[in-house]
Amino acid sequence: MKGDFVLSKAHLSYWLRQLRKEFDLIAPLRSVGSDIILNSVSNIHEIALDCPANIPSPKEFIFPQKEEMFKFSDKGVDTLNDSRKRVIFGVRSCDMSAVALLDRFYGGLFEDGFYMSRRRNTFFISIACNNPDPTCFCTGLGTGPYLKSGFDIQLTDLGDRYLVQMDSKEGRSLVKNFRHLFQMPRKADYDDQYEANLSSQSKFEKRITLENVRQKILAGKVDDSFWESVALRCFECGGCVYECPLCTCFNVIDWKETPDKGVRMRLWDTCMFKGFTKMAGNILPAEKKIMRTKRWYFHKLLYYPEQFGKFGCVGCGRCTITCPGRIDMATIANKLD
Amino acid sequence: MTKTKTLKNHKEIYLPQKVKILDVVDMTSDVKLYKLEQPKGFFYSPGQFLMASVWGAGEVPISITSSSELHDDIELCVRKVGAVTSALHELKAGDYMGIRGPLGNGFHFEEAYGKDILFVAGGIGIAPLRSLINLVISQKKKFGEIALVYGSRNPSEVLFVPQLLDWKKEGIRTTITVDVKNAECEYCTGIVTEHLTRQKISFKTGHSYICGPHVMLKAVMRDLSLMGMSQDNIITTMEAHMKCGVGKCGHCYADGKYICTDGPVFSYSEIKQYNLLNSP
Repeated sequence: MKGDFVLSKAHLSYWLRQLRKEFDLIAPLRSVGSDIILNSVSNIHEIALDCPANIPSPKEFIFPQKEEMFKFSDKGVDTLNDSRKRVIFGVRSCDMSAVALLDRFYGGLFEDGFYMSRRRNTFFISIACNNPDPTCFCTGLGTGPYLKSGFDIQLTDLGDRYLVQMDSKEGRSLVKNFRHLFQMPRKADYDDQYEANLSSQSKFEKRITLENVRQKILAGKVDDSFWESVALRCFECGGCVYECPLCTCFNVIDWKETPDKGVRMRLWDTCMFKGFTKMAGNILPAEKKIMRTKRWYFHKLLYYPEQFGKFGCVGCGRCTITCPGRIDMATIANKLD
Repeated sequence: MTKTKTLKNHKEIYLPQKVKILDVVDMTSDVKLYKLEQPKGFFYSPGQFLMASVWGAGEVPISITSSSELHDDIELCVRKVGAVTSALHELKAGDYMGIRGPLGNGFHFEEAYGKDILFVAGGIGIAPLRSLINLVISQKKKFGEIALVYGSRNPSEVLFVPQLLDWKKEGIRTTITVDVKNAECEYCTGIVTEHLTRQKISFKTGHSYICGPHVMLKAVMRDLSLMGMSQDNIITTMEAHMKCGVGKCGHCYADGKYICTDGPVFSYSEIKQYNLLNSP
């Protein structure tokens, strides 16, 4: 494609070091033990390039688990917008697809200023997945392992070099200033990309089409006894929601530091908890577990397509890893398909 | 159609607007009526709500009980049930509180022109309906018969008593019913559904606007539908636990609909279609 480049792996750390001068550089880093988390990079060589696909999603950086919205005191109210410039390196294709959908959710008629402020200042360098995990199923959803559009910069590992593709003005600007590091791609580079893509597609162990599941539910072929059996296995831990790159629910609380000043903040919340919909007078509209598990699935499988034309799932497989009851999206979809 | 104004494209959808409380009226032992100074250019439809905000306590959705066309202030009727409403109850005339809104779709009562109207309210459910009732009365000639059935737990909890008398004088057939009656009161007894059949309106062509607790909503909508009222003409406004009011926090989400942005006003047919009263 016109505008693509090739970056030798020898030049990667230099490029990232340059970007770090201007941006807060976030990348997968080895944490305690074998854990890998996305975090601010202080040493470029600590970036984990060979990490599995299931590291925590970058949702945290555009919709943090705990976000301070307003500071209030008897003197007045300040809106706390985070506009720190960030580059998140090493994001997976599925997560990039999720961000595109989050943009539409938080935008629209009522634009979420807190999300947008972070989002406008966050750029992504995603890496196409040559080695999908056994839990991955993005290939059936078109959200990976390689993206045709919807990214800032996409890297494809071609052994000793990366194919560098850009799909946004911001992405191009991250490359433009360091043009001397990048070469023009040759035909062999595209041949290698094609081969890497095919080889990756063949490695997927889970081949799931959510469309079949959606059709079955719409046709009324899935009765409540099925959802009852799902609910029976739910531990109400909320893991699926917290790990999901597309779950967006939050709670808002006021916290007082002293009697006359404090912070209004929002925190991730989960619809799996009984108290999530609790109303005045202790009324619990979704008291039964089946209502909550079913709502989660219906939201992702029926109402996301209705509202956005896309499933509320990008096939990242995180719920498969985290769910102790084995009632994750992939398992349920396999059962229903 | 009434123009429904919302926070559309408002830059800061979560930042409450500071408004002065002009007056606080004690309605019952646990219900207060707040009269707020109306910000310039603030227009709302009946059935819309506000997020009422007290810094340090939080925010709650409260329906507006005044009518934009008839009142110069914004009136909110608040019952003390939780942390935020308790904090609201501490406020006095001259204090300030935060509001976000108006939010939600509101009632589009033009659809009932030329038809009979039955209002059914339970408890504090009279508050959102009052906005609509006053507006309907101001255009009385455009409608047929107008009736109101209003149920409360006991006589001391009946809200807007002087206003109810005014409505009666305006020709509204008003039935006030209480669960337990004391010696000298002239109210009826029993639950609202027991009084529906006696209303002198045409159930076949009439429209009904209902607001009250979930149990009452379910029973009234079912009964009106059984009495032949079209399910599209049975309209209610729903309550839900909302944190944002703008379709983001997910708390009021049910079967593909957000009560805050797609509602809170829904017809019985929509409620059945989207399973709103028994979400999912």
